[in-house]
Amino acid sequence: MNYSKNLRVFLSSAVFSYRAQFSWLNPTMWLTMKLILTLSQMAFFVFVGLFIRGPSVIPFIAIGNALQTVSWNTVFSVVNITSHDKWDGTLPLVLATPASRLPLFIGRAMVHVFDGMLSVVISFAFAAFIFGVDFGQANTLALTLTVLLTALTMAGFGLLIGGLSFYFREPLIFANIFLFTLLIFCGINFPVQDLPQFIQPFSYVIPLTYGVSAARSSIAGATLLDITPLLGQQLIVGLASIVLGYAFFRSFENVARKTGRIEAV
Amino acid sequence: MPETKIQLGSASDKAIVAEHLCKVFNVAKGMLRRTKTQVMAVKDVSFEVGYGELFGLVGPNGAGKTTTIKMLTTMLIPTSGKATVLGYDVQKQVTQVRERIGIVLGGERGLYTRVNAVDNLRYFADLYGVPVNVRDKRIKELLMLMGLWDRARDRVETYSKGMKQRLHLARGLINDPELIFMDEPTIGLDPEMARDTRDLIQQLVKKGKTVLLTTHYMFEADELCKRVAIIRNGEIVALDTPSGLKKYVRDASVVEVEGFGITDKEVARFKETRDVLSVSADLGESKQVLRIQTPKGSEIISEVQEILKNSRIYDIKIKEPTLEDAYLRLVTT
Amino acid sequence: MPQVLRVIYSAFRMAMLHWIADPQWVIPNIIAPFIFTAVALTLFQGSTGPFGLYAVLGGGMMGMWGNTLYSSGYAIEFEKWQGTLEEVIVAPSKLMHVITGRSISNALFGLVNMIAVLVIAALGFKIQLGIANPLLFTASLVLTLLSVSALGLIFASAFVLSRSAQALTNGLEIPLYIISGSMFPVALLPFWIHPAAYILGPTWGIDAIRLATSQDYASQTFWTGMNWNTAILLDLTIMSLITLGYAALATALFKKVETRARTQGTLVEA
Repeated sequence: MNYSKNLRVFLSSAVFSYRAQFSWLNPTMWLTMKLILTLSQMAFFVFVGLFIRGPSVIPFIAIGNALQTVSWNTVFSVVNITSHDKWDGTLPLVLATPASRLPLFIGRAMVHVFDGMLSVVISFAFAAFIFGVDFGQANTLALTLTVLLTALTMAGFGLLIGGLSFYFREPLIFANIFLFTLLIFCGINFPVQDLPQFIQPFSYVIPLTYGVSAARSSIAGATLLDITPLLGQQLIVGLASIVLGYAFFRSFENVARKTGRIEAV
Repeated sequence: MPETKIQLGSASDKAIVAEHLCKVFNVAKGMLRRTKTQVMAVKDVSFEVGYGELFGLVGPNGAGKTTTIKMLTTMLIPTSGKATVLGYDVQKQVTQVRERIGIVLGGERGLYTRVNAVDNLRYFADLYGVPVNVRDKRIKELLMLMGLWDRARDRVETYSKGMKQRLHLARGLINDPELIFMDEPTIGLDPEMARDTRDLIQQLVKKGKTVLLTTHYMFEADELCKRVAIIRNGEIVALDTPSGLKKYVRDASVVEVEGFGITDKEVARFKETRDVLSVSADLGESKQVLRIQTPKGSEIISEVQEILKNSRIYDIKIKEPTLEDAYLRLVTT
Repeated sequence: MPQVLRVIYSAFRMAMLHWIADPQWVIPNIIAPFIFTAVALTLFQGSTGPFGLYAVLGGGMMGMWGNTLYSSGYAIEFEKWQGTLEEVIVAPSKLMHVITGRSISNALFGLVNMIAVLVIAALGFKIQLGIANPLLFTASLVLTLLSVSALGLIFASAFVLSRSAQALTNGLEIPLYIISGSMFPVALLPFWIHPAAYILGPTWGIDAIRLATSQDYASQTFWTGMNWNTAILLDLTIMSLITLGYAALATALFKKVETRARTQGTLVEA
């Protein structure tokens, strides 16, 4: 199948286009897009929430979406792994030692971690100045650490998504769907408890869920100590996903090495 | 240049009239600092093609053949110059031109690969307004003619290169055009199919259609075309019938005589003969070979026989100048 | 059949054949609408009110937007990638009519989202949806489809004429969902956004569709207090006028597209 054409077609949809054009847009355009996207996503859900449940849910939804913006950057981690361009003619790279590749991945991920945190900060600004969320009681240290840790663990989570996506015929479609579902699973727009019982466990294997909860608490005034349990769980889940993701990654790499092909299916 | 009157809406007496066509492209290079340069793909091209003629346009890559065809088929707007196709101006009467011509560009692209041949043809038939009651019948006829009918329901992505080329041909004929433009129609085809395609082109002309084709294969231009234009660097350097063009390289004729009993005496006599440019002789013990360069070609044979009447002639080979010789001479000087 | 309609139908049919060949590519275009609708459905739980109207119909509307923005937007690019753009331009039919067929099919496939949402809403959320006036509902749906398609034509030509326009696509998606009042009434938005809502044809369309579906919508329509049918007809008239405006704009843009293609040789931004 003509991958590069499909990649381009695919890049037309919301998330990936935003990201793919990251590389060639001038800074003004990039910043403008960032502002438009973060504000409009928050606005959409705030208005929906306002319409259905009334003004009391606004802070909940605003903060949830603010933290969620970090996950769009997770996409980059995924694309880095699954991008065909990386693999084309790079069988030598595939055969390189694992030790050299993980640092490479981490290095690249740092850019996206920073970008993700920037998105969150911008979103907080919108939440405060446009949607009237009160940051007066916020514990800055706790909040900062929450945002940082969320960005880091979600970048690692991207590795897991990337690894899983190899099971699918169209890895990018799978990854795209997965990232959007975070809006449902992670307590972004409504508490996890609102979901059907059998779905809730999924929420707790995603680092973002803990981060959103911790963020809401920090903004309400909770101290670092108060939110340590949440951050601890987030860290564990994050590390687990890195390990798992890397394992998938390596197993597919073995297949590629044996068959000389990239697709596992 | 003879005076050509362009009568709007009615046929002039020529199928194609090109007058000083010129095409300049503005090309922007580079990602960071975009520098603009101008590329003159076609400098000045003028020619005419009569109705029912099979006309050839040959030239090296980048000479401007494809650009010229694109201007004549309304794909490109000339930077300057004019042209009429079937009496219609290619810039002012675009729709009338498009309705009446067929275009075969060929290649790997230009077809919807995820869809089958019938659907591809049907789509273009609809775009060209082929009458509905005729459409499906014509599609079947064309596909059968091209030997694609048994694969007609398969996706085009499963077709070989040759099959795709044939589908391009079918598509070029879908609107039963009066005039057909073909860009390298036999490229990529196996010899048998190429021969069938050439036969088809000749049949089209016999039916009264006009064809303008470009080709790299000189023997093809020689065989098929009534007249050939040689284009180089965006300009036409020669336009004539194939035999007319070959006269440029008459001196390329070589007559090779293999015989026995040929001596220096005979060689000397050849050298003195009128119209013999040079003679080279390989006088061996059991066999002698003479190579005589002469513009007369096969006409020299009677003199050969006269001069060598006391020797034995085993074989005479005549290498007539080909269109390729003419082309190479005209394109590389 | 007049030639124009024949061309539009043929392009529509070709788009359908491509969709059948690769149905999965509609997913990225409607994944956002689908998830957004699922969130709304979950938020609707336990509340009284016309959530069927908003969630299901709004979901359909957003699906149309999403698929049109991304598929129609790239309609001409698609021809370029296939290598068929030259052949299509040089056919006697107008490029705009060809893309219209494609645009209509894209808007239609966007309704796939509505069906998906309907199924989930009925199964998972036990929502029941009845249609008060099927005739006006269908008419409203069809006219809205045409309005979205006309916008698709504008996207298709604008994206080819300008790289910046292409980049803005993604920025457009969610604002379109918000401004058109797909998932909540336009009245909820700040007053200064309302003009933007009113110049979008589909905003009126979705209002008409909701009116034709249920009485519950009475308090939120633009035409409170007015007779039902009159309100719908007003919506449809305004939308049709706007759609004609879109068509005129698209015609001008397409002319520019073709001139540029025939001057430059490829469709490259100057």
